[in-house]
Formats: sequence, C-alpha cells, structure tokens
Amino acid sequence: MLAFILRRIMQSVVVLFVMSLIVFSMINLVGDPVDMLVNPESLPEEIDRVRRDFGLDQPAYVQYWKFLTGALSGDLGNSFIFGRPALALMAERFPATLELATTALVIAVTVGLPLGVYAGLRPNGWGARIIMGGSVLGISVPTFWLGLMMIIVFSVILGWLPVSGRGETAVFFGIESSLFTVDGLKHIILPATNLALFKIAMVIRLTRAGTEEVMAQDYIKFARAKGLSSKRIVRAHLLPNILIPIITVLGIEFGTLIAFATVTESIFAWPGLGKLVIDAIVNLDRPIVVAYLLFVVALFLVLNLVVDIIYAVLDPRVRLQGEEG
Amino acid sequence: MNPTKLLSIQGLRTEFPTPDGPLAAVNGVNLEIARGDVLGIVGESGSGKTVLGLSIMGLVDQPGRVTAGRITFDGTDVTNYSEAQWQGLRGNKVAMIFQDPTTSLNPVQRIGAQMIEAIQAHRDISSDAARQIVREAMVRVGINSPDERLEAYPHQFSGGMRQRVVIATALLNAPDLIIADEPTTALDVTVQAQILRDMRRLCRDTGTALIWISHDLGVVAQIAHRVAVMYAGRIVEQGATEEMLKSPSHPYTVGLMASMPANTPRGQRLASIPGGLPQLSNLPKGCSFAPRCTHATEACEILPDLCFTSANHAVRCVSPLHERGQHATGD
Ligand SMILES: Nc1ncnc2c1ncn2[C@@H]1O[C@H](COP(=O)(O)OP(=O)(O)OP(=O)(O)O)[C@@H](O)[C@H]1O
Ligand code: SF4
Ligand SMILES: [Mg+2]
Repeated sequence: MLAFILRRIMQSVVVLFVMSLIVFSMINLVGDPVDMLVNPESLPEEIDRVRRDFGLDQPAYVQYWKFLTGALSGDLGNSFIFGRPALALMAERFPATLELATTALVIAVTVGLPLGVYAGLRPNGWGARIIMGGSVLGISVPTFWLGLMMIIVFSVILGWLPVSGRGETAVFFGIESSLFTVDGLKHIILPATNLALFKIAMVIRLTRAGTEEVMAQDYIKFARAKGLSSKRIVRAHLLPNILIPIITVLGIEFGTLIAFATVTESIFAWPGLGKLVIDAIVNLDRPIVVAYLLFVVALFLVLNLVVDIIYAVLDPRVRLQGEEG
Repeated sequence: MNPTKLLSIQGLRTEFPTPDGPLAAVNGVNLEIARGDVLGIVGESGSGKTVLGLSIMGLVDQPGRVTAGRITFDGTDVTNYSEAQWQGLRGNKVAMIFQDPTTSLNPVQRIGAQMIEAIQAHRDISSDAARQIVREAMVRVGINSPDERLEAYPHQFSGGMRQRVVIATALLNAPDLIIADEPTTALDVTVQAQILRDMRRLCRDTGTALIWISHDLGVVAQIAHRVAVMYAGRIVEQGATEEMLKSPSHPYTVGLMASMPANTPRGQRLASIPGGLPQLSNLPKGCSFAPRCTHATEACEILPDLCFTSANHAVRCVSPLHERGQHATGD
C-alpha cells in the first residue's frame, strides 16, 4: 500500500510539472494583462513601468522559471488585481466552495441512492418510471435555468429562502461553516440543491443500473435461498456490491463539483472559488488563473488516489499495483 | 395425500409470459419424495429442471409464477405462501445449491459472515454459537482449518472449495430437503466425484432428502434411488434407478442413455438425439417429443399420460420400449 501511494505521489508531481508548463504557455497566448491594469489613456512610460513591475517585460521562459522556483517554495505569485498571494486568496475562498460541494454531494447521495435502489428493485413499476423520468429531466435541464427558477419560486414568490450570498457562519470544532447556523443553512439550501440536481440524476442512474445488475446475480439468488429477508439482502449483499463503483464515480464527481461550481456560484453570488476565477479570467489576472488551474489538477490527482485506496479497501479482490502478495 | 411423504407436488405448472404467449417451463409435474429419499432429475438444457427446483423454493423469477398445481411440504400446503412464509421455509426446511460455485457467494463478504447469516435468519442465536455451528459444518464437508477459512473471501477459494462452502451453508440448519441443481457440472471430474460421494454420505448421515438435478444420467445413477426424466417441462419417465437403467422405456430416455459416455465405445463420438427442444410457448399438440421421435405414429398426436408399467416405473409414451438401453442406440 505504502509503495503504491509513494509511486502515485511521484507520478503526480510529474503530471503537475507538465500541466504547469502547458497552463503557463496557454495563458501567455491570451490577451495582455497590462491593458487591464492601467488606464487606457496612460502615458507609454507609465505602461512600461507597470509591465516591468509585474515582470511581464521578460521573455516567457524567464517568467516561467521565476514562477517555477516560486512554486517550489509554495508561492504561486501575487494577484495582479488584489496585489496579494494567489494561494492566500484561494485559501480564503476555498471553504465556501468546499462547503457547497460537500452539501451538494450529501444531498445527491441521500436522495439519489434510495431512489435508485427502489427503481432498480422494481424496474417495471410506476415508481421506477416516475423516478427515471425525473432523472432524465435532472440531466437535461440546464443548471443555470433551474437555478434561476429556484430563486424565482422559493425566494421571490414564496419568500422562504434568501436570494443570494453565504449567510452567517459559525465555528465548530475549529471549522468555520455556514452549516452551523440557521441563517447559513437557509442560504446554502438553494445553491447546494441546484448544484446537486444533476448529480442526483446521475446517482439514481448509476444505482438503478447497479441494483438491476447485482439483483440478477447468483449470489443474490443463493442469499434468498438461505431465507434472508429482503431488507437483509439489500443491506448485506446489494449495497456493498453497488457502492464500490458508485463511490469511485462520486470521488471524481466531487472534484467536478468543486471545480465547476462556477455557474451555481455566479447565480447565487456564492463567495467561493468559482466566483474568484470568473473574475480573474475577465480581468486577465494570470497568477490567479494559473494557480486555480493547477489547484484543480492537484485536486483530481488527490481524489483519484483516494478513490483507488478506498476501492482497494472496499473490494477484497482488488490489489493495488506494487502491493506485496 | 400420503402423510409419510416429505414433499408432494401435484399438477405443478410454472409459466413465464412471453410475447408469443405464456411459456410453461414446468408443465403439469407430479412428484413425491419421502424423508431420506434421493431423487435424480435429468433432462437436456431447457427442459425445466431449474425452474422446477426454484418453484419448490418459491424463488421463480418475476414475472414468472406458479399458475397451477399444489406443493405440499411436510403435510403443509405451501403453494400460496406469502414471501415472509417462504423466507421461514427457505434455507431452513429446504435448501438449494446452484450450479456455478464461483458466482453463488457474495464476492465482497467474508465466507464466515455469509454462513452465519444463514443460521441467524432462522434462529435467535449469538454470533459465537452460530460460528461454532459453521465451523462444524465446514469440517463435515472436508474444509480444513475452518477458523482461517471463515475470515477469507470467496475469491481466495478454488471452485471445488467454494462449492463445499455452499454445501456446508445448505446443511447449516439441518434441512429436510436439499435441492442440488447441477452442483458439480462446473467442477473438475475428480472434484465432481468427491463432492458426489460427500453429498451422498452427508445426506445419508443426516437423513436429509435430496433432489439431484443433472443433465447427465450417469452422474444421477450414482447417487439417486429414483430418477425422473424431464422433457419440455414434463416428466416423461420415472422409476427406481436400477429398473430405469435396465429397461428404459421412453424413446427420449433411451436416447439419453445412448449419449452417456459409459455406453459409448472408446474413440467413438457420443451419440446425441437429433433435433432440439420444441418451443415451450408453442408445444406440439400431442407428445412433445414426437418431432424427434423415430417411433412416432398418429397415436402420438394425443398427449399420453404418465402410466405405470410396473410398480416402480412409469412412462409417458403410447408405445413404451422395453429394449435394454445399451442395445437401443442403433449404431
Ligand atoms: N427467468 C426466466 N424468464 C423467462 N424464461 C425462463 C426464465 N427462466 C427459465 N426460463 C425458461 O424456462 C425453460 C426452462 O429453463 P430451465 O432453466 O429450468 O432449464 P434447465 O432444465 O434447468 O436447463 P439447464 O440444463 O440449461 O440448466 C427455458 O426454456 C427457459 O428459457
Ligand atoms: S408418445 Fe409417440 S412420439 Fe412420444 S415418445 Fe412415445 S412413441 Fe415417441
Ligand atoms: Mg438449470
């Protein structure tokens, strides 16, 4: 196990390095950040000064070398706009996004899993048809449209929930989160549900397919022949077998929830990473964009590793590469 | 109904709906088994052996169901049992073993847990006590160092070992009847013979009745007191094993015997009955074997009954044969 993890970490470092090269070259092709930083009517000397201050007058490889040496000591550069370290800015925003993504994932699993199992156990029943129809809707309706509809219905017409923002937060066990206050919960319900809708549909489909497949297996028939109750069969035989692939997929999906919560965060003005990045892209704030993209790469590398380890723990047949026999 | 019989089946019909109309996988089967009896059921693939076994367990896959007939177990009519009542019976009074041991066990649960749950489903008993019963059952089926084995997962076992685990599981609650659906077909020949011997011994020791399903008459002959031959959902011949082997009377049974390896001279290909099973949703009017039968006449257009030709032998054929099987091959 340890050998496996070490090897994966080494591979990850290589991947990160290559990605940093790609990201850095790509970003140099897009626009001139100096145009965004100075008043268009400034004197040419003024513009040159700004360019020098940000090191943008140097050749690209020198800029990259500076970035790389900085990165190795944990410094991904300062934001052009805020003048503060990119990493610090991201770290400030990350908890809000993490909280949103986690809540969305929890909603997706608690809603999607039981519905999927139900639909898989009675694939031809009315309940299954309604659930599957709903899941088609969940997959095909655009997130932003649903988000707007939710705001109109629950916030504007019914007035039950706030329109936007994160609400009050509280500290609990050293974690600051809006999940610990009533106001915070009220604020998170809509964006988290909005973010979760697509995933609920996905969990339903995965679970339904897995349930149908597993229920047709001989070991389920043998379990029934032992005289086990349906409840016991679902708990002891169905769930452990369908959860393995579902957890694998969800691990990666969790990454996409964090990385691509952008639309939801914009609609609900959720002060997370997504909003920071959208602003950075609009303003050509290169250090933030580069730091964010590398963060996403690292996030997926870590999630992949974690998923592989969980997989090996859950499924006794799986042995990790490099593991002793 | 005879009260001494453990299992009695009358006119059992199990159907699956299909686009071409209902398919009767089991079509009017009568069977009786006494305590300690070993009944062999033979027939080629698709003749309804498995569905018959599943019907006795109340385990027919939806949308299939038993549409006619009666199953009486130990004096109680179980035909219309609710799911909860079936659960009380399954694995407790009647156990079933399936063909493929590599797929009968849950791959992500430890062997011990899978066996213990079979006991706890029927008895209010501590896990430690259940574990003790499991250990003993494993030793009885020839699994050494059971404590280690209990903690293992199915993929760490060979096919033969897994089938032993399955058999041990079936024995846990000392059932009155075990239905073994081709339990050795997927195994090596040597392992097959061992398991066959063990099953025979175990059932004799415990007085458990056994239904042994196989497509191989030779295997069945080694273990069964009585044999029933199934064809297209019906029993076409039934009798004491020795008598059946000595004087097979249904043309289909004769064909089956001709295709037994033991009856084929070395170096010669196994004989097989030309043709295949009729479409079960669209059976011929009379005898369903008629399209393949070399003895068929007009009289066969009316379905013959299963008639006794001697005290221990019944045949469903208008003109039963009495030649000795090994001479009826016509080669
Ligand atoms: N779940 C099902 N749905 C539809 N038809 C079925 C189902 N199970 C069995 N059948 C049909 O019932 C008939 C009898 O099948 P069965 O499995 O009992 O045969 P078998 O004698 O056990 O054959 P084998 O030797 O291949 O195991 C077959 O025609 C099969 O197609
Ligand atoms: S009834 Fe006729 S067709 Fe059927 S097995 Fe007997 S002889 Fe052949
Ligand atoms: Mg079968």
